[in-house]
Order: sequence, then C-alpha cells, then structure tokens
Amino acid sequence: MIRVLAVARNTVREVVRERIVLVLAIFGAALVAASQVLSPLAMGEGKKVVTDFGLAGSSLLATLLAVFLGSSLLHKELDRRTIYAVMAKPIRRAEFLVGKFLGLWTTTGFLLAGMTLTVLAVLTVVHGETPWILFGSLLLTVMELGIVTAFVIFFSSFTTPGLTAFFTVSVIVTGNFAEQILYFGGHGDSPVLAGMTNALYWIVPHFATFNARGMVTHGIAVPPERIAFAVTYSLLYMGALLTVAGAIFERKDFR
Amino acid sequence: MREVAPLPLLHVDGLTKVYRDPMTLKPFTAVDGLSFSLDRGEIFGLLGPNGAGKTTTIKLILGLGRPTRGSIRLDGRDPRDPAARRRLGYLPENPCFYDHLTAVEYLELTAALFGIDAQAGRRAGLALLERLGLAAHVRKPLRKFSKGMIQRLGLAQALLNAPTFLVLDEPMSGLDPIGRAEVKQILREERSRGTTILMSSHVLAETEPICDRVGIMSGGKLLEVGTISGLLATGVREWEISVESLPERPAAELRAAGHRVEPLGTRWLIRIAEGPALQRALKVLTQSEVFVNSVEPRRETLEEHFVRALSRGKAARS
Repeated sequence: MIRVLAVARNTVREVVRERIVLVLAIFGAALVAASQVLSPLAMGEGKKVVTDFGLAGSSLLATLLAVFLGSSLLHKELDRRTIYAVMAKPIRRAEFLVGKFLGLWTTTGFLLAGMTLTVLAVLTVVHGETPWILFGSLLLTVMELGIVTAFVIFFSSFTTPGLTAFFTVSVIVTGNFAEQILYFGGHGDSPVLAGMTNALYWIVPHFATFNARGMVTHGIAVPPERIAFAVTYSLLYMGALLTVAGAIFERKDFR
Repeated sequence: MREVAPLPLLHVDGLTKVYRDPMTLKPFTAVDGLSFSLDRGEIFGLLGPNGAGKTTTIKLILGLGRPTRGSIRLDGRDPRDPAARRRLGYLPENPCFYDHLTAVEYLELTAALFGIDAQAGRRAGLALLERLGLAAHVRKPLRKFSKGMIQRLGLAQALLNAPTFLVLDEPMSGLDPIGRAEVKQILREERSRGTTILMSSHVLAETEPICDRVGIMSGGKLLEVGTISGLLATGVREWEISVESLPERPAAELRAAGHRVEPLGTRWLIRIAEGPALQRALKVLTQSEVFVNSVEPRRETLEEHFVRALSRGKAARS
C-alpha cells in the first residue's frame, strides 16, 4: 500500500504543480460567483440558480480536468521514460496504475469539493441559508468522477492520449443517455440494433444514478439508500476497470 | 558434506527479443540468443556500439519487457516478480526524472517505492546527495538540474536501497572527467561492499580499468564474454624501440628489413613486428652507435580487440 500511496502522492504533486489546476480552480470559483449575477432574472429563485449553475459547472470542470489532464498522465511517463526508474523498483504495474488513479481522483475530487464549498459560501452569505444537503450531491459526483477517472486510466493503458480523451468523452455521453439509447434501440425494427443497444446499456456506466443536482436544487436531500447504491456501484465499476487496465498494462513492453 | 556452488546472481539463457513494427508488422530482432551469467561481487561490462542491443537486454533483465524466447533468473526469480527487484538498483540511460519534484522529494518517492519508511528514506537520501556532491541542490526542482546533476541523482536513487545488484546503463554519460572519476570510485566502493554490477558502455576506456569481465555485443548477439586479460591477445603484438636520434644509414637498413620507422617529436620510434627480428634490429642500432632510450612490448588494447571482434561479427553475419 505504501507504494500505491507514494505513486498517488506524486501524481497529486504533478497535477497540482501544473498551472492549469490553479486556473481551473479560479475559473470555477468565478463561475459560481457569476451565477449570482443571473439570480435577479430568476424572479425570486436566485438560490436555485446559484445551486444548479454552481453544481453543474463544478462537475463539468472537474470532469474536463480528469479527462484532459489524465489522458496524458500515463503517456507522459512512457514518452519521457520517467516510468523506467519507477518500474525497476519492487512495485507491480497494477499498483502503479492504481496509484495514478488515486492521485488523479483525489486532485479532481478536491477541486470539486472546493467549488461546491464556494457554492455553499455564496448561498450562506448572499441568501442567508446553508443547504448542507449539497454534500449528498457532492458525494455522488465524486463517485461519478471516480468512474470517469478509472476510464481515463483504462484507456491510457493501451492507447494514445488523444484516443483516451475521445473514448472517455464517448463513454460519458453514452453513459448519460443510456436509458434513451435503450429506448430508441428497442423501438426500431432491427433486432440486431436492439441487441446492441441492450448490450451497450448494460456495459456503460449509468451516470444518471449520480446526478442528484436537481433534487438538492429543490431542497430535497439525497436518500441514504441511493447514496449507498451509487457508492457500491461505482466502487465495483472502478474495481473492474482497474483490474482489466492492470492486466493490459502488465503485458506492455517498455521500449 | 558436499559443497554446493552458489547460484549466479543473474542467469540469462537464450534470451531473444523480437519487436514488430506497429505499422508494417515487420519483425526486428533486437536481442538474439544471449546467454551469460553474473557471479556475485563482480563488475561486468556489456560493451557494444549504439544499437547493439545493450539497453534492450538491460530492460529485459529488469522486467521492463517480456522476452520473446529464453529465460532470465535474477537471484533465482523471474525479474517481473517485484520481489526479485527488492535489492536492485538501476540507473537508466540518459535518465529522466519527474521535473516537478526536488531532488530530496524524488529520493523520498524512491524510498517509498522500496518500502523504506519516510524518515529512514529521507536520511539515506540526504546522505547520498551529500556523497554525490548534490548537497547544495537538495531543494532545487529537477527541471533546473544539468545533465551531469541528473546523472548523479540517478546514481543516488540507484544506491538508495543499498542494492546487492546494480544495473547501470551508460553510467558515465554526461559526466565531466571529475564526475567520471567519482563514479568509478563509487563503483569500486560498491564492489568492495559485495555488490554485483552490470554496466553497459560504448566508451571502452571508461570500462577497461574497472570491469572484471566484459561481454561484447553487436547486432543483438553476444560475440564474446570473458575477462579482459583473457579476451585480449596475451602475446606481444609488436615491440617499440625508442631512440633519441637516428642517422640515415641505420634508418634505411631497418626500413629495408620491413620495420616501421617513424619520427615522434624529437625522438624516433621503430616498430618491430616479431621477437627474433628485435635482436637483429638492436644489433643494427648498436653497430651504428645509436643510443636506445627504451624497448617496450605492445599488447592489444581492449579498443583494438573490440574493433576486431565487431568486424569478425559483421563478416560472420554477411
């Protein structure tokens, strides 16, 4: 475990020392603050605008960071050959991948938490209300981010940064419209298409499970059983992805 | 009771690595049927020109790649087993480390990867930075390090776990003469501690004084393995007679006998190819009252042997 944590800590340092994280953090905070500007247009629903806009914006920024910074993390190690000295140490390749995953997930998770706290601060100071239920939504989004990060690591283990980003964005889009894809596939004439959409429905992660932003915007707390299901589902999904990624990476030749 | 010979630290048997071009799938044999063993406590030099297959061999020994054929046993284990790499130190060729870290942060990371606790790792790291002349740069980001400083840091991270087996890929690369002398001194100290060292190089002058045995590689094949004295022709290749001045008559006589007569600064050098001819040449010089400064035998150098082995290897392939 000490080795996994060492790789994770190094990944956090690597990501945090990239200026883009600071820029994104400032941009996120500015975005949340800017949502306050829109609240007079919402005819007394300013609190909802800030919550909805702030949570959606912070989720989007954290996801973009995970996809676009994460896609090149592993490739950079191979390209600059920093991985050689690391993999000659007594560490398993799967441990290295898990360390990279944990480092990236921690960083994006903290960025997300920071932006959610900014939303909470704006609501407290401007609207005189502290909706603690935001943390339920935050937890679900962090778990969703975990799956996205696991996909980034999975695709990085065998393909290029560009394709990693492309495949991960495709999974995010497909995963957000899983129900609709199944519905349209089932209503066509082709049994082949129906079978394919059915298979796709079961393979892609159901990101809708993690989206509780609408609920908390309307002041409804996320039920504990939904949180328990989402956490279990995401942990299993991440575990499966990282196991396959580890097996692929284990067979890789470092040239 | 019968004494059992200790297992070699490294045993490579029929090692072959074939890569395929990802586009054309055309095969390329980088390492071709390599077999050799390393005994504990020796310094072994893997010599060869660029592209000979030295770095690929090293990567396979470290478990960074899978052999296409053949086997490698590192202390009796497959090198892909992390346990086999616990007491191994590795310096890559033209090393590149995380440039977002400082020297001490990098060594802390290295210590953690070896499972050394943070305090002990930091202490060992600082001591090594001091030993390698980097004490003043402990907190400097690695992106500001020169090539020589990176090479020294590479050696520090390779020594951090007090290895029993050191693998150094071109360890003298990027170092100034003082740095090279320091590295040689460190390698001698490590050998006296009982560490086995495998180093690759294409600079023969650097390896000859410190290696116990060498292997000469070319075109992915191991052409020769042995001690330097064993590999080099033991006999005298030629004799060199050095004289202060050489009148025209004995010079012409020596040239007529087939010897090479060359001016060397203020002196003259006469090269005699065979022992019996030496006596006759000395007689000519004494009869002409030429003062002989010295008579020295010249043996084959590792460089000459290396060139000869490579051209033999090339001829065998064609």
